[in-house]
Order: sequence, then C-alpha cells, then structure tokens
Amino acid sequence: MQYTRKDLGSYRLHCIRTKKFKTIMVRVVFHTPIKKEEITIRNVLCDIFMQSSKKYRSKRELTIKAQDLYAADFQTSNSRMGNYMNTNFYLTVLHDKYTEKGNFQAAVEFLKEIIFEPDIEKNAFDQKKLDIVKTNCKSALEAIKEDASNYSLIRMFEAYDKKSPVSYRMMGYIEDLEKITPQNLYQYYQNMITSNLVDIFVIGDIIEEEIIQIIKQNFVFKTLKKQRVPYLLPNRKPRPRRLFAKETSENVQSRLAIACCCYGLTDYERNYPLTLYNVILGGGNDSKLFREVREKYSLCYDIYSVPNKLDHLLLIRSGIDAKNYKQTVDLIEKVLNEMKKGKFTEENLKAAKEYYNTALEELEESESRIIDNYYMMELLGTDDLEEKRKKMNQVTKEEIIKVAKKIKMDTIFCLEGVKDGNN
Amino acid sequence: METIKLEGLDICCYKDKLKNGLEMVFVPYKDKKNYFISYATRFGSEITSFVPIESKKEIKVPDGIAHFLEHKMFEQENGVDPFTFFSESGTGANASTSYDNTQYICYGTKDFEKNLKFLLKFVNEPYFTDENVEKEKGIISEELKMYEDIPEIKLEMKLRENIYHIHPRRVDIGGTIEEINKIEKEDLYTCYKNFYSPNNMFILIVGNFDQEKAREIIEEEIGKKKSIPFPKIKKIKEQSTINKSYEKIESNVRVPKIGMGIKIPKKNLGNYDELTLDLYLSMISTVCFGSSSTFRERVRNKKLLNSFYTEWETTDDFKTLYMIAVSDNLDQFLEEVKKEFSQLTIEESSFERMKKVWIANEVKMIDYIDSTVHNIYDDYLHYHMVVPNKIERIRKLNIKEIQKIAKQIDFNNMAVVIQVPKEKEE
Repeated sequence: MQYTRKDLGSYRLHCIRTKKFKTIMVRVVFHTPIKKEEITIRNVLCDIFMQSSKKYRSKRELTIKAQDLYAADFQTSNSRMGNYMNTNFYLTVLHDKYTEKGNFQAAVEFLKEIIFEPDIEKNAFDQKKLDIVKTNCKSALEAIKEDASNYSLIRMFEAYDKKSPVSYRMMGYIEDLEKITPQNLYQYYQNMITSNLVDIFVIGDIIEEEIIQIIKQNFVFKTLKKQRVPYLLPNRKPRPRRLFAKETSENVQSRLAIACCCYGLTDYERNYPLTLYNVILGGGNDSKLFREVREKYSLCYDIYSVPNKLDHLLLIRSGIDAKNYKQTVDLIEKVLNEMKKGKFTEENLKAAKEYYNTALEELEESESRIIDNYYMMELLGTDDLEEKRKKMNQVTKEEIIKVAKKIKMDTIFCLEGVKDGNN
Repeated sequence: METIKLEGLDICCYKDKLKNGLEMVFVPYKDKKNYFISYATRFGSEITSFVPIESKKEIKVPDGIAHFLEHKMFEQENGVDPFTFFSESGTGANASTSYDNTQYICYGTKDFEKNLKFLLKFVNEPYFTDENVEKEKGIISEELKMYEDIPEIKLEMKLRENIYHIHPRRVDIGGTIEEINKIEKEDLYTCYKNFYSPNNMFILIVGNFDQEKAREIIEEEIGKKKSIPFPKIKKIKEQSTINKSYEKIESNVRVPKIGMGIKIPKKNLGNYDELTLDLYLSMISTVCFGSSSTFRERVRNKKLLNSFYTEWETTDDFKTLYMIAVSDNLDQFLEEVKKEFSQLTIEESSFERMKKVWIANEVKMIDYIDSTVHNIYDDYLHYHMVVPNKIERIRKLNIKEIQKIAKQIDFNNMAVVIQVPKEKEE
C-alpha cells in the first residue's frame, strides 16, 4: 500500500494505491465546525443531491445512470466528529479492467455532476423534490422513538449536557425542517461548497498522476479556506454527583445508556490505554461487563461499552428488565471500580492487544476503513498503522489502571419499558 | 477434493466430504490476511416436531429450542469458555439461528488451525446442566423482549401468521418466553443428538488459510463421529391460500407501516430448478419495485413512500414475497401496489440493465470475505451446491421466461398487515 497526499490549494487529495480490490473508491469530504441549527438543512441537502441533478431530472434517472456505469455506487452521509460536521460523498466503482476503458472517469464526472450541478433554477432548488425529501425526513424524525436503543442514547446525551455538541441530534429537528425553503437551501449549498474544508480520497489499483489529472479536472473550488477549530471537544469535568435521568416508554424492555467522563487523559492515554481499557471492560463477548452482568447474573442479552474519544466519553449500553435497573447499575459500578483496582489479569490485557491487532489487520481488507484511517491521521494527527501497532503492544497494566482512575460514571439514563410482555 | 472454479471471479473453491457425510467447502484467498469459518447444521427453528432416532413416537419440543440450543453450545464441561479461548488470539466468535439452519462462526487473522480445531470441538461437545439451562432463560428473555420492541420485527411476525395457516414459520425464531421457560436439558440433548449429526452439517471456510491443512484437522476432529439417519419429520400440509387477508394492528409506532405478503405455490411457477427460479423471482421484484422502477418513481412523487424493501422466502411448497413499507398514507399506497400488480410488465431494457448490475455486484462482492461467505453459505444451504457459473446464469436469464413466470403469480393471494400508532398515545 502506497499513500501520497497532495495539496491542491483549495483541497487536499489523498491517493492510496493498493492492488487488493477490484473496485476504486472515491470519498469527498466537506467538513465544517458543527452548528446545531445547520444539522437539519445539511441532512436535507445530502438527500436532495441524490434526488436529481441538472442533467438527470429524477431519482430514477440518477439511479439508472449509476447502474449504467456498471453498478457504480453513490452515497452521501452526514456525521459529527467532535466539534465538526462531516458530509461525505462516496463513489465505489469497478476498476476499468473489469468494465471498459473510461468507465472510472465517467463515474467521477457523474460524481462531480451530483455535487456541482444540482437541480437548481433561479438560485433555488426544485420545490417538488424538496417536499419529497422533507416528507421523508419528517417521517424519520417522527419515528425517532421507535428505535429504543438509539433513542435512549439521544436522551442520555441531552441529559448529560444540553449545550454540548454531544447532545446534538444528528437526525435533525422538526422545527428546523419546517424553515427550509428552496432558496435558503441553495444559499446553504453555496456556503458549503465555498467555505468548507475539503478532502478527497481515492483508493484502488490506481496511477497517481492519472488520478490527480482526473480529480483536478472535475473538482474546482473557488475559494481558499482556512479554518482552525480543534476537533476535540473541551474536556468537561465530571459532575460532582452523578445524574440519574429517566423516561418511560411503551416498550417491554428498558434501555440503559450511561456516559462516563474521561477526564484529564493525555493524547497518548486516549489513543492507547483507553482503547485497551474499553476492550477489557465491555468491548466484546469476553469482556468483564459481559461476564458479570450477562453470564453471571442473567440480567441482559446485550451489554457493551464504547469510547467516544473526541467527546472524552465512554458509553455503556444495555437492555434490561425495569425491575433489575438498580442491580444492573450497581454491578456496572462494581466492574468500573474493579478496573480502577487493577482487578484484571495479564491474560485480559494480552487478549485485548490481540483483539486490537486483529482489528488493524482486518482494517487493511476494507477500502472504506483504510480511508477512515488516513482521514484520522490527517485530521487528528493520529499515528500510522505501524506506529499504532507498536505503541499498543507496549501498553502496560499500570497505564490502564491510571486511565481507569480518570473515568467516572456521570450520567445514567434509563428508557423505562412499562409494557407487560405478551409472551 | 473437487475443484470448482468460480467463473469470471478469478477464484477457486474446493469441495469435499467425509465418510460420515460431513460436507466441506473451502475458498482460499491468496492476498487476504483474514479468514472466516462457519460450521453449520441444517437445523433451525422450524423443526419442533419429529420422530427421534430410536423411537417410534413423534415428539414436540418447545418453540425456540434451536436458538436456545445455539446459546447453550457455548457451555463447556472443562470450563474453557469459547469466547475466552477465541479472544486470546483476538478472534471473533458468534453464532446465529434462522428458520432452517444454525451456524457457529469464528473470524480473525491469527491462529487459524488452533481456532478451527476449537470451533469444531466445542460444537461437538455439548454440556447441558439444569443450572446452566436455567441461567440462559433470563438472557434469552431479554433478547426476545428486545426484538418485541422493534416494530418492523413485530410487523413481519404478524404477516407470517397471516400468510401461513399451520407452517412453523408462524412462530418467531426465538420462540416465546412462555415456551423457552419449558425447556429442559433433556430436550436440548435430544435435538442435539438428532440434528447435529455430521451428515446434516457442513463447514465453510473462506480467506487466508491452507485447504489441505484444514481438511486434515476436520478429518481428525470429526472423522470418527458417527452419523445417524435424518429423523422423520411429518410433511407440513400448508394450504395454498393465505390465512388472513387483512389486519390492522396497533403498536408502539409513530409512523404507520405496511406489510404485504404474497404466497405463491411453487407448483404454479413451472418447472425450473430452485436457483433459476429464485433468480427470476428476485429479478421480478427488483425490476418492478426496485430503486430504478417506475413504480418507485410514481409513489415517491406522490409522497406516498418513506422507505421500502422486498424480500423472498422459500419453504417446501411456496415462494413468498414480502414487501414492507413506511408511508403516511397506507391506503393510497396499497392502491398503488395493487394497481402495479394488475398491470405488471417487465420491460426488456430494465431487465437487461439489472442483469448488468447483478453481474457487476457479483464481481464487487468477491473482494470481501464476509460477502463471499454470505453468498456461498446461502447457495450451499438452499441449493446444496457451490454455484460455479453464477454470472453465466444471470447472463442467460431470458425475457420471455421471466414474463411467463410473472404471469403465473396470483397477486391476489396476498396478506396485508397495517401497523398504526396506538390511539391513546400523546
């Protein structure tokens, strides 16, 4: 695998050359500091790109065009990374040697058309298309409670800190949706393509010079951008007394979502010992939480933890019976305390390292994850794969205990199921 | 070992069978670091009544027993926990149960031989006690409750009940809390003995490994295991018609949903092999209702559709098409679907384009070990073979044949379930 990075003035082009895949993947990322009131409009924008373009006037025509490029896959997505909002355009297309010469270039041109030549007239998006997108968004927003697990997480974040980007609903807000017009959507679109930071990644069996040529031809941004807001959120102190929040739902099961603050970790601790700490605590089906809460006490089917490194949080999630709420929280606390006291074995640590090593090796089998990795290196200055492997293998038990002592249960949210099971 | 070249995909498959009937499929990749092992039995949730070996009387075991058994296979007499064992080499492990099969998997990049050996060993050595069976009931209850709170799963369950009169697919894979509470260790041993026999199982390995070595290990671990004849299972005499044509259910949804199920007796569809028939049927639903269909364009523009998917199910005597949609106006949406059925046409240009898309997807998927596993597993399970010429088969699909098949489908044999919010809610 060979990686090169080229600064093309208004954006950076990252080329990753590998013979491992039959496809070439292109990802165009627009990133900008997150604002709560912009999330909904940005989601709508993402969706409307996929509805039509100037040349392909309906979603059906767009889809057919993509299919004609040997089933090229086009997608958009919006996500938050720390203080930033990322809008991704993905293109996955078979290498020309499996299709025909020029197919890749045609696919990139099509991607360009989607981004730069949308369905716009008189400085406004098409009202009808916008209505369709808004109807779909509204339906998804209204259904937010139907996914109990996700909803419990959203509500927990809101209880944790309403002002922090952590609590922003990436699905958007109905109030904001109603304010979107064909005109202000166009203005927002203009704003995005002129002021956002842009990174373009291309991975596959490629020749760098050819890619630079093709990308340069198709991606021209008018402005030079400089934005420097840190990706990491400010490190908030855990509250002195834990916050317990609850909401009832018409569900059979209760969903538990817990935020633990990771306070005062160094960059090294956040990237290395914290990762292993999490694997040992609740990373898989051999974790301490799994063993204790599920296997020993039969209180749940799923229980796991996951670190949100850029937010300085560690999340713990599970589905339980309402009557076992207190017992479960007590057990989780007990396990967290055991971690602080170093009650885990060298074997646990070794297994966690192996787990991480395997994950790194598996990463190299996916184009999308390879891009993710280079993206993190670019944005956050994280280490490359080799360095990661080396440093992770050297983490000691003491370092993990030190991290464990900096992790504190902060907000405990329970979406309490009040319905009796039919079973 | 039989070599099967997967045409057009630059890859070879190797197939073999032990004397006791265990089948093995190997797909080695030269340029990958990871591997994936699946050890499967053709025993799933839909078998709950059978005549056990050494008995003449049919027994009924509790619903959900195949899934319960899958959970309990991870219990080991010597105390070595499979999850712990695999995690020592950073290897992932899991298992899953469906209507017609159960599989045990492990996947990683290290210690292939050790892990294969262990996977075979732990699935070959059941260890059930009153205590460990009792312990699992709480865990599985929470799993069932989790599914019960997912509206789409509830809708599909109701739809199955209304499509089938007596077929066991009316019952959820996991069973019910009441039923699983009846399970005792003897039931588990009975099912294990009858359905985890080598001639009812197969192994699929894909990725970075040596096929000769894998075969050797399998021979060593399972070669001596004896097979028993497959237990007698009464044929299910399911009626051709659907059970209930329309039902409205109230549930914890905010946005209304609709499920439609069309039950098609296989005998009506003509004389095709199962794979060819499945390709044609999927093609019909893709061309007529897929993302590039005129139907989708029409309902989208009328703002009748928020999300939509279709899937096919095969049982002994039927092919069933499921269509699940989210819409703010279910009645009108249903009218549109019925209208589409009444004037169903398959245009040649769309048909040919979709063939091209499918072929491209076959090539794309082969890059990813998990997609390859998924594909070959499904083919092996349903068609009892590795399909060497999928691309050629897709290419050969014929417009006249597909039109003929589409004409044979009676779209009126449809069950509809509407899922709406509870009235009393805020």
